[in-house]
Amino acid sequence: MNQDKPRIGVYVCMCGSNIAGTVDVPAVVEASKKLKNVVLVRYNKYTCAGPGQTGIKEDIKAHNLNRVVISACSPRMHERTWRTMLAEAGMNPYLLEVANLREQCSWAHPAGDMTTQKAIDLVAAAVERVSWHNPLFPRRVPVTKSALIVGAGIAGIQAALDIAKAGVPVYLVEREPSIGGHMAQLDKTFPTLDCSACILSPKMVDVGSHPNITLLSYSEIEKVEGFIGNFTVTVRRKARFVDETVCTSCDDCTAVCPVQVPAEFDLGLAERKAIYRPFAQAVPSAFRIDKRGPAPCKNTCPAGIHVQGYVALIGEGRFKEAYDLICEQMPFPGVCGRVCHHPCEAACRRGDKDQPVAIEFLKRFAADWVTAHPEATAPPPATAKPVERPLQGHRVAVVGAGPAGLTVARDVAQMGADCDVYESLPVAGGMMAVGIPRYRLPADALQREIETIISTPGVNLLLNTPVQLEGESKSGPSLASLQRDCNAVFIGVGAHQGMHMGVPGEDLKGVLHGAEYLRQLNLAQLGVKGLKTPNVGSHVVVIGGGNVAIDSAMTAKRLGADKVTVLYRRTRAEMPANDWEIEEAEEEAIEFHFLASPIEFRGKKGKLAAIHAQRMELGEPDESGRRRPVPIEGDTFELDADTVIVAIGQRLGQSLGEVEQSRRSWIETDPVTLQTSRPGVFAGGDAVSGPASVVEAGGAAHRAVESIRRYLLGEELAEGRSAEPADISDIDYYDPESWALTARQEMPRREVEARCGFNEVSLGFTEEQAIAEARRCLSCGICSECLACSNVCGAGAINHDAQDELIDIDVGAIIVASGFDPWDPTPMLEYGYGVYPEVYTGLEIERLSNASGPTSGEIVMRSGEKPKRVAILHCIGSRDEHYQPYCSRICCMYSLKLAHLIEEKTHAEVFNFYMDMRSFGKGYEEFYERVQREGVVFVRGRAAQVSPDGDRLIVRAEDTDLGRPVNLPVDMVILATAAVPSKGSAELAQKLHVTRDATGFFLEAHPKLRPVDSNTDGIFVAGACQAPRDIPDTVAHAGAAASQALGLLSQEFVEVVPTVAEVRTLHCVGCGLCVEVCPFSAPSLVESRGRMVAEINEALCKGCGLCVAGCRGKAISLRGFNDTQILTQLEALLQLSPATCA
Amino acid sequence: MSENVFQPKIVAFLCNWCSYAGADLAGTSRTQYPPNVRIIRVPCSGRVDPLFALKAFQDGADGVMVLGCHPGDCHYQQGNYFAQRRYALMHRLLEFTGVESERLFVDWISASEGKKFAQVVTDFTERVRALGPVPIKRQTPALQEVSA
Ligand code: FES
Repeated sequence: MNQDKPRIGVYVCMCGSNIAGTVDVPAVVEASKKLKNVVLVRYNKYTCAGPGQTGIKEDIKAHNLNRVVISACSPRMHERTWRTMLAEAGMNPYLLEVANLREQCSWAHPAGDMTTQKAIDLVAAAVERVSWHNPLFPRRVPVTKSALIVGAGIAGIQAALDIAKAGVPVYLVEREPSIGGHMAQLDKTFPTLDCSACILSPKMVDVGSHPNITLLSYSEIEKVEGFIGNFTVTVRRKARFVDETVCTSCDDCTAVCPVQVPAEFDLGLAERKAIYRPFAQAVPSAFRIDKRGPAPCKNTCPAGIHVQGYVALIGEGRFKEAYDLICEQMPFPGVCGRVCHHPCEAACRRGDKDQPVAIEFLKRFAADWVTAHPEATAPPPATAKPVERPLQGHRVAVVGAGPAGLTVARDVAQMGADCDVYESLPVAGGMMAVGIPRYRLPADALQREIETIISTPGVNLLLNTPVQLEGESKSGPSLASLQRDCNAVFIGVGAHQGMHMGVPGEDLKGVLHGAEYLRQLNLAQLGVKGLKTPNVGSHVVVIGGGNVAIDSAMTAKRLGADKVTVLYRRTRAEMPANDWEIEEAEEEAIEFHFLASPIEFRGKKGKLAAIHAQRMELGEPDESGRRRPVPIEGDTFELDADTVIVAIGQRLGQSLGEVEQSRRSWIETDPVTLQTSRPGVFAGGDAVSGPASVVEAGGAAHRAVESIRRYLLGEELAEGRSAEPADISDIDYYDPESWALTARQEMPRREVEARCGFNEVSLGFTEEQAIAEARRCLSCGICSECLACSNVCGAGAINHDAQDELIDIDVGAIIVASGFDPWDPTPMLEYGYGVYPEVYTGLEIERLSNASGPTSGEIVMRSGEKPKRVAILHCIGSRDEHYQPYCSRICCMYSLKLAHLIEEKTHAEVFNFYMDMRSFGKGYEEFYERVQREGVVFVRGRAAQVSPDGDRLIVRAEDTDLGRPVNLPVDMVILATAAVPSKGSAELAQKLHVTRDATGFFLEAHPKLRPVDSNTDGIFVAGACQAPRDIPDTVAHAGAAASQALGLLSQEFVEVVPTVAEVRTLHCVGCGLCVEVCPFSAPSLVESRGRMVAEINEALCKGCGLCVAGCRGKAISLRGFNDTQILTQLEALLQLSPATCA
Repeated sequence: MSENVFQPKIVAFLCNWCSYAGADLAGTSRTQYPPNVRIIRVPCSGRVDPLFALKAFQDGADGVMVLGCHPGDCHYQQGNYFAQRRYALMHRLLEFTGVESERLFVDWISASEGKKFAQVVTDFTERVRALGPVPIKRQTPALQEVSA
């Protein structure tokens, strides 16, 4: 509290007649004289003017005033002026109170007693309040001498260059991959008709090369903290996937990119590749990859195959490249393309529209095509990346040459390791060789792929070489010996032992087990000596409902059985076999007998004769969710059979000694690293997961290879890895606007009658089918990750794994130059935009007219022909209370310019439908006249409707000059759409804590006097983000913003408001509520005399008072807005009531 | 204005950044509203201690308004959220003290909503006018107690 007794001077401003015209100023003066502590009351015509201020300063000295009340305009107008004045008079500038008699009294109310009474109350309250004021001392903080500009259209570019020229560092943040904004899209500029690119490009180049400008393109503002002179801005540098500093803009990448999407820069009138540069003069000139994220197909693929990539390549007829791409993750494209359970197709988003893309068949197609075209199978082009062989000098042992083992072998060998693959069977391939019947997977398709792997340098395959997994072996290798001799071991021995039912008679001759049966059959067919194809007789019963059961049944048929019955204990709905396999079996007249299970195999002379089976019914669901079969008491039957094949599952069937195994004998591994309980021993595939698929084995192999690599290089095994696929639920996948319902290509299949022997049933796509099918892909991720660009990029600039980066930048000033967007006129259905192809927006015509645009500067219709008559409709979405109430300011002039260009380029008749012509700028009216002279027709009247009429369109309007309706047939309609704040302005405003006006444009601090200041000190607005404006005005506005920012940045210090919170420690109970509520972390709890109390960090406090209002013990107060000040003001306001003077 | 019309006394707490600027804009655009309202400028709606409202009623205000920035627009990020929550509780407390909860009004006015400000003040003034003088002028011992 100020010691001296308050001596208050009250000044009532008449503000010309602004206040005096409504408020009885002499009455206010008289009333004020009676107020406590008031020493002096004066009134002035203009208090803010020089003489007014001088008078007050003199009074302060002469009358020894120590408080001043100014009753005038809003404090938001002149509070600063008065404070400076007080300081000049030697007073503390905070011993001031302003009563808002103008904006909130005289201007808002009619002249009369009530208004005067309100003015009296306001002055009385100000007098009361000022009595409680204390001197306050603003903190001085140094100014960070740099600026940040948000948006790099012409406004941002101009401001950046102006500030940089003054020697101040500038960070220019642009969310698009190139700077330039909408100006870069324009053709000519009105009224001078100079080419937009020609005047803009040099400035863009200057920005790119100026030593004081740091250009952060393809970046967005994430967070803004701090205050005038001292902001910290967090910028998200979005992943570009192309290193700007390395890219040489050679453009080799776009030639090989297989993905085409509509080009934003050309407003969808042309296409671009997934790797692209928005336009030729882009700054930075580096390319960018448009990648939404891993496509659902790739993300779902257990092996992580670049599905969208190879599909895209097939769609372009680049089959060999597709094959090579598949091989990166999957060395068995031909196998996988035949037998995969293809979870990718279930994830395919095309399935939501019509049917999923036939991904599996396309993979097979690529593999078959390569086989059929040996001449095309040159090795893949040498990649720009040097081949890394980090595992050179290491030796890895792989036990089991199945899909998992062979994939591991190939991959570690490619990394430079020596790899011995031990296989107990006489053939490699594991289940692919001995589990899958040949009519599904022909031997040569498999053999080729195995050979490719074992020909990889470093891979050494040892057939007929079992590895003893438990203990030591005298005769051959054991797990223990491999661990001694090699640096790492991978176990991929699969699950080759068929499970037994455990019913009487299972050892009879004629009772076979699925896995062993198929193994014998396959080995015999592969020509292994001493093995014969099994003789199954004429009645075969298969027990089980999985794929092995179906395969056993179908092979039995092919081996000559007359009647094959599948006996399954549940119903068809519960069968675990793939649907399509069951259907094939049905086609081939395999019989199904559901709800039955053998209880005994009955034989004659040691040979199977019949099956005694129990009928079942479905009971409660078990833990797998399927309903459990329960026997129907006493309901049994007998079935004749020569052979029974039990196909109820497989097991690992081996003990691994010290390596931990689950209860059901599967090898236990860490789910992320696949390391077993023995360090350096990894395992994957069926031996870990139980019977699964080739692609899952491939996925396990990748996981194991990464672990082996880390293990051998001494890195942390699990860091940064997860057992789950990436979460893609938030990815905004691409949804092409144009797609047509197209049925999936049918796989050509051998007729049932022709399916004799073990000929392959599915015949594979033709080239035409494959291309057509691949083109059904929606390009969900846009970038397909085909990696073709990486392969051709000589500079090595491409990194498909790049991540967004967050950087913090300290600056003293911020300029918002986020610009405008042309309004999308789709909601105005009467004009048919998006419905009639020949209805365009103005900006679309700019692109057509632009020599570097989609038509190389021809203004033509979609048919390619020049229009004969064109209508330009003004004020679309502007000056319309349903859309934008304001005039967009630029449309009249750009319409005139387009009219001129169309007339010049096409000689078409051009009609302008306008409400008022606003050609207000320098040379604008002259341009309007010129266009009129050129023969362009002007019809005064807003067009009401555009409707189709054969090939043409009819524009309906009323010619208000002539007072009659117009129905004009035209070829092309151009909508001069409104300018609206650019997308994301609302979020940007919230991040910056600046205000926008009712139309969404950024609000200036004063419409006339502070046109480039925002409401937040230190943040300025430039260009069309504040209001629609043309290029000359934008450049001028941006220059003004730059000079305001420079004015701030040229100061050494800024004063920070002293109205911050303070704690009366004695009253503080240390509850910590203030710490919780403060958005700025200003309060904290500290120890004081043995207890915890709150303390406010003044540098962080912004003075909102949130903690003050929340403080239970009233221990915190806000300087300048403490409870006493507010409550006394309140009391004074209510003492004299309007009722008393009514 | 007729002698007999009841002229309510209304106090409005306006945050400096949005609502106070909105009120200024109403004046600058000469949008008229009843002079019954008396405005107190605070840094943020979050500064408005519920006690202020009680005190206002005790001192004879017939209506109290608390106006802040729109949700998400608060200059201090979250002040208006806290204000909103506090005043949700306040309304219940008011009923308990015998003051009609309609006499306390919370809303969001942006710096560009001069028209809305005038409208909101006009409507509120009329509602309070219809309610008549605040009951404290009659008798509300509970209010005396709470704000004591
Ligand atoms: S600043 Fe307006 S509500 Fe917080």
